[in-house]
Formats: sequence, structure tokens, C-alpha cells
Amino acid sequence: MLAQSLAAGLDQFLTPLTLTLTTLGVIFGLIVGALPGLGPLMGIVLMLPFAVDMPPVAAMGFLLAIGVGGSCGGSISAILLRIPGTPLAAATLFDGYPLAQKGRAADAIGIAISASALGGLFGGLVLILAAPVLADFASNFSPPEYAMLALTGLIAIAVVSEGSLLKGLMTGCLGLLIATIGTDEFSTGFRFTFGSFEMLNGFHIVAIVVGIFAISEMAHQVQGNDLNQKSDVKIVRPGFRTLLITLRHWKNLLRSSTIGAAFGALPGVGGTISTFASYAVAKAFSKPEDGYGEGAEGGVVATESANNATVGGAMVPTMALGIPGEASSAVLIGAMLILGFFPGPALFEQRPEIVGGVFLVYLFSNISLLIVGILATPAFVWVLRLKKSYLIPIVLLLCAIGTFALQSSVFDLWVMMGFGILGLLLRNAGYPLAPLVIGVILGPLLENNLRRALLISREGYWIFLDRPVSAVLVAVNIALIAGAIYWTIRQRRERDVRATAQSEG
Amino acid sequence: MKTTIAITLAAIAAMPLAAGADDFPKRTVELIFPWGPGNAMSASQILAEAMSEELGVSIPVISTPGAAGTKAFQIAMNKPADGYTILDGYVAPLVLQPVLGKADWTYADFVPLHAAFSNAFAIGTAADDDRWANFEAMMNYCADHPAELRYTTGSRNNLPHMVIAKVLQSYDCVAQNIPYTANGDAMSDLKNGVLDFGFINVGDYQQNGDDYTIQLVLSELPASAAAFGGAPSIADLDVDLGLSGLGPMGWNWWLVRKDTPPDRLEILREAMKAAIERPEVQEKVNALGFAALEWDWDQYDEIVGPVAGQFEAMGNALKWEEEQLAKY
Repeated sequence: MLAQSLAAGLDQFLTPLTLTLTTLGVIFGLIVGALPGLGPLMGIVLMLPFAVDMPPVAAMGFLLAIGVGGSCGGSISAILLRIPGTPLAAATLFDGYPLAQKGRAADAIGIAISASALGGLFGGLVLILAAPVLADFASNFSPPEYAMLALTGLIAIAVVSEGSLLKGLMTGCLGLLIATIGTDEFSTGFRFTFGSFEMLNGFHIVAIVVGIFAISEMAHQVQGNDLNQKSDVKIVRPGFRTLLITLRHWKNLLRSSTIGAAFGALPGVGGTISTFASYAVAKAFSKPEDGYGEGAEGGVVATESANNATVGGAMVPTMALGIPGEASSAVLIGAMLILGFFPGPALFEQRPEIVGGVFLVYLFSNISLLIVGILATPAFVWVLRLKKSYLIPIVLLLCAIGTFALQSSVFDLWVMMGFGILGLLLRNAGYPLAPLVIGVILGPLLENNLRRALLISREGYWIFLDRPVSAVLVAVNIALIAGAIYWTIRQRRERDVRATAQSEG
Repeated sequence: MKTTIAITLAAIAAMPLAAGADDFPKRTVELIFPWGPGNAMSASQILAEAMSEELGVSIPVISTPGAAGTKAFQIAMNKPADGYTILDGYVAPLVLQPVLGKADWTYADFVPLHAAFSNAFAIGTAADDDRWANFEAMMNYCADHPAELRYTTGSRNNLPHMVIAKVLQSYDCVAQNIPYTANGDAMSDLKNGVLDFGFINVGDYQQNGDDYTIQLVLSELPASAAAFGGAPSIADLDVDLGLSGLGPMGWNWWLVRKDTPPDRLEILREAMKAAIERPEVQEKVNALGFAALEWDWDQYDEIVGPVAGQFEAMGNALKWEEEQLAKY
């Protein structure tokens, strides 16, 4: 099955358009990753409206490559400016910046790019080997299994959302409510459309995603009051010899990539946690003379290989089960839907050429990252020197053009703006945004499969327990909910204990 | 001097009018497609590409699914009647949804460029399902076990649902329709035995024919039965659906708003006719399981009109199904 998929995908992959777009995606990803406040998610969101008219594999290559480049790009600003371009690069600060301060900025960036590419390739191998096995197992999934799986995705995402569990659940539920807008396919009745034909099919997922992430982020940047500040960064040029430096840390590289891929494959965990975990493990295995925290090469290898391996790992549940591993994967699922295919077990059987093509573009994007990243670093550093007052209008214009171009719809622009304002309000109040998008995407999957399962069932809810896989998923969901409640109670108790100790002390 | 300026200004003012009449089309013409991406959209893209070569401007196919195709119609009706918006008018949103009271237009609100494709469909079961020897045996089983069988027609209240409900009503077969958003999921559940039978379109059959046993082709045309490997068709049964006007099921016409300027309408009609008659277009759409239709624009009323009447007459099949299911 694996060989068949790869062979079928080769034709889709080996086209000038796919190869060019994948390389361009890496370049764009590196730029948005390097620019503080943007990042791979934002890069994918910005380019999503342009990608939906491309052939599926070329479009996925473009978007995935942005994720790959963006996951690495954050390290450039972290190393040079001590500002992580993305949260993924936060742990790279520990050793990347001190290494640059020692006069080895070019080496630090080169190591970050090499480790990212090698970690990403490792994540790709995990994707290629694990996803078909998982998809094969799940090929007999039917509405009861899909309903329970959608529930797992919703619970897992909400549980690990940044900040409080309650806030994550609340934005997730808001996403579910938004997902109910449009035509109910079971009764063919209209829900919450208020007589507007524009809302007959709900809100376009791209308009929601661009609004909630990109518009709100730009508004947030404007609030920051540093629009005219110009950074004083020196142009650096890393060399290919940094690949050899990285390979000298092969044990660390392999270990950190494994951690990254494993964390990525767990829905909702994401790259930031995996980078800190792999850094902690690498430091634990290091000797005092390695100087972790003072500019150790191994520290950069650990964090950067882990965060790019996470991208491949996160694609495993995304491709095999249709469950997003993190926010970027959720947006990628939206892209796949628009491109005409739904990720999941059936995809491996029905469209092997798409699956194989996606695997190949993912591997190629990491190879591109290694070559393009090292050659083009001076140019990315130049972009870092742009003032926000120039950058923000360009980004806003791209958002508007892309969203309007989807359906030539002015209504979609209003939706984008509306969700931009909602995103800003939620962001300012400390609510995570990703669960909202997950809710919008997984909501219809849950609702439709739940209702479909109940229609198929002749004995009501027993259908969820009669089928073995569905029964296991029900148990997993109950355990996740119980775990989340236990965790919340424990956190509250610890907070109370600390508060009591402070008041007594 | 003043006279020269006045003449120049008058000439400039007249230019857009002259250009509007002579240079149509001078920019992109949009084709509003009422479903999500898939075989049907690919067929429309093939024809749109050929037509764009005839016109010398691009014709992007814009997928605007939703509300059983009615969203696309609403969008098209809200665009100016200037010939720059063409509607891919499938029978379900064009005729069926107004009959069901879900839309406030009739087929007479649009004028046709040309008929596009025929997309036949059939009732099929999983290839390894040997519970019935033939369609009539399946119907007899269904009549003896009311509300036990599960079937799908993709969306609910669409044309296949109405036709299949009518067939089931003829055999007093009460079965539960299960709606699906994605055709792939429906076919997967059919193959896995979760569903007992389902609507199979000719594109699905041509791509994955080994996965299904075709029980009944829902078209009286010999060519449609041949497209399903010579499976039994409704013409072989003693069932009168009262849908003779639908001949090849699932046809579509490319339409524009009826107040579109006649000169522009004529240009579009000629371009579409030339495009659909191209051998390479017919070859490509045949490969997708579709057949290019030869009906010209002046046959629109003759073909579509009776279908609207027939739908109204047979609109009770869906109601009958709901009422019967409520009893079990």
C-alpha cells in the first residue's frame, strides 16, 4: 500500500509547478517564521486562499512547505534578535542567542536550519510509515467511529489549549456553535441564516481562519505601539559545513526528532511543548562542559530538530484520521476540504496519488529547507529589518485579496473582518484561538456522524458500544474528560495551597 | 476650440457604450457551479476551458455548494445580467428545489446557452452482498421488513432521493435514507455493509465498478444501461415513474439571467455550442462517465417544462417515505 501510494504520487509530485511551489513555500515559510508575530500557522493562513485554485498536491506542497519553513524560520530572529519569531523557537533562545553572542551567529543559524531539515526528514519517515498503517486499520470506520473520533479531537485540543482549560473549552464550544450556521443536511432546513442566502452554507472556513488569526494578530501588533521601530540586525551568511557540525550531534538529533515526531502525532500537543521537552532531555544527557545555556550547539540541535519533526508527526493523525494534530494541521484540513479531498482512512484507498504526493512534497520541502535556508539566510535577515508600519499593511492587503478571490464575495470580507475583531477580543481576554477553528472544523464532523449513526442504528445509542473500535473510543473520551476534570481540580487545589501559604508567610 | 473639446468629450463618453456592444467579452466570465469539487466539476471545467478558448477570455469554474445547489443560484441571480456570469444549472436546484418550496424561482427566470451533460445513476449494492438475486427480490425483502433497510442518495431531498423514493413507493418498500456530505464516505459505508443499497453515479461505477452490483439503472435510455455494464434498467420493469421528461437523469444546462442583452447571449451560445461539439471535449467528459448533450437552447422549454410539472405530480414520494418511517 505504501509503495503503491508513493508510486501513484510520483507523477503528481514530479511536476515543475509542484517543485517550484514547494520551494517557494519554504522561502515564504522562512520569512514568516523569522518575522516576530507571524509564524507557520499565519503563513499557511495567508497563502491558503491562493492555494485553493492550485492542483491538490502542488497546493499541499506549497502549504506544507510554509509549515516546514515557518517552523525553522523562528530560530533566525531568536538567534539574532533574542526574539523568537514563533513560540516554536522560544527554547532555541537558550543556546542560539549566546552562540551568536560568541561571534558564531552564522554557525548558529546554519545548525538550526540543518537540524530542522534533518528532524523534518525524520518526521517525514514517521509520517510515511505510520500513517498508512493507521489508515488501513481505520478503513472500516463508519459514522459511530467518526463521531467518537471527532469528539476525541475536540476534547484533546481543548485540554491542551494554552492557558486555562475552561477558556479553551469555551472557545471550542463557540467554534461548534458557529459550525451550526447554514443548511442542516438532515432536515434541509436553514439554521441561523437570518434569511441571508450568503449564509446558507455557513461561513467560509478560509474567511474565518484568516480573520481569527491574521487580522486579529495585525490588530494586536498595532496595539503594541512599536510600529516605527527598526531592528539593527547584521547580515550573516551560514555555510554548508554547519550540516557536518549538526551531524556530529547525531544521538541528540535522533532522540530529539523522535520526541518531536511522537509529540506531533498526539493530537493537540504541538511543537512548543516538544521543543522544551527535547531540550530538557538533551540537557539531562549532556556533560557540564557542553555548556548548555551558554551557547551549546547541542541545545540548538535539540530544539530545532524537535519542532520540525513535530510537523511530520502532526500530519500522521491529520492524514490518517482527519484529526488535526495542532492549529496548522486544522487549517491544512480546511485546505484539503476545499481542494476536494477529506483526509482520513478512505483517502488512502480512494486517492493514493494524493497521499503519495503529499508524502513526497513533505520530504522534498525538508530537503529544500536545507539548501534554500542556508543559501538565502542573508535575505531573510534583511526582511527582519523592515518596520512593522510597512509590513502590516502588506499583510492586510494579502489577507483581503486572498479572501475575496475565493468566491469573489464581499460578504467573505465582512466575515473575515468580523472574525478578526472576535479574534482580537478573545486574544486580549486571554482566550486561545485554535480551539475555535478546531470547533468549526470538527463540529460538522461530529454532528453529522452522530446523527448519521443514530439513523443507522436500530437501537439508539448502543451503536457506539456495539462496535469494538467505537467502544474503545468512547472509553478514551470518558478517560480524557475525567482526566481533564481531575487536572483542573488539582491545579485549583495547588493554587489554593500556594495562596494560603503566601497569606500565612 | 470649444467645439473640438465638446466633440472629443462626446466621443470619450460614447466609447464605453460602443465597447460594451462590440467587444464582449473583454474580461473573465465566471461559471457558478452549484456543487463541491468532484467528477461533475471536472466535467464543467473541461467544457469551460474549451469555451474560454472560443471566447478568448478565461472562464474559471467557481464552486459554491450549499443548500442543495440553491446558494449558487442565489449568487448568480444577484450578479448583473451582463453575460459575465454563467450558471451551471443542474435539475435539482433549477426545478426540484422550487417544487419543494426551497427556492423562489422557476426555470423561466433563466435563459439557456445550451444543454451540457447527462449524468445517469443507478441503485447498487456492495459487490459481495448476495442477499438478493435481483432488484425485485430486494424490494420484496424490503416490503416484508419495513424500515429495516438503510440506503443513501448522498444529500437528502435531491433528485436521486426523489426518484428512488418514488421507485420504493411503487414496491411499498419503506427504507431509511441516510444523508452524507461526502460521496466517498457513503460509498465506503455501502462497501462495509453499513448501508444496504445506495445511489451510484456513472462516474463512481466507471472508476470502481468491481466494488458494486448494479441492481437497477434509473434511466430508460439504452445508452445509460450500457454505461452501467448492461445492468437491468427501469425500462425492463413494470414501473411507471411518471418522469419521462427526465430521460437521462441528472442533466444540466448552462444558463444566464433572462434579462441578459441578446447580443451577448448570442455570443455565449455560439461559443458553448462550438465548445461542446469539440471531439476532445466529448472524449474527456465520456472518460469521466458523463455524456455531452446535443439539445440546443430552443429545446429548453420543451425539455425542462414537463419535468417541473412531473416533479409537482410526484412530489408526494418524499412525504410518503417520511410518513411511513414515522410509523416504525
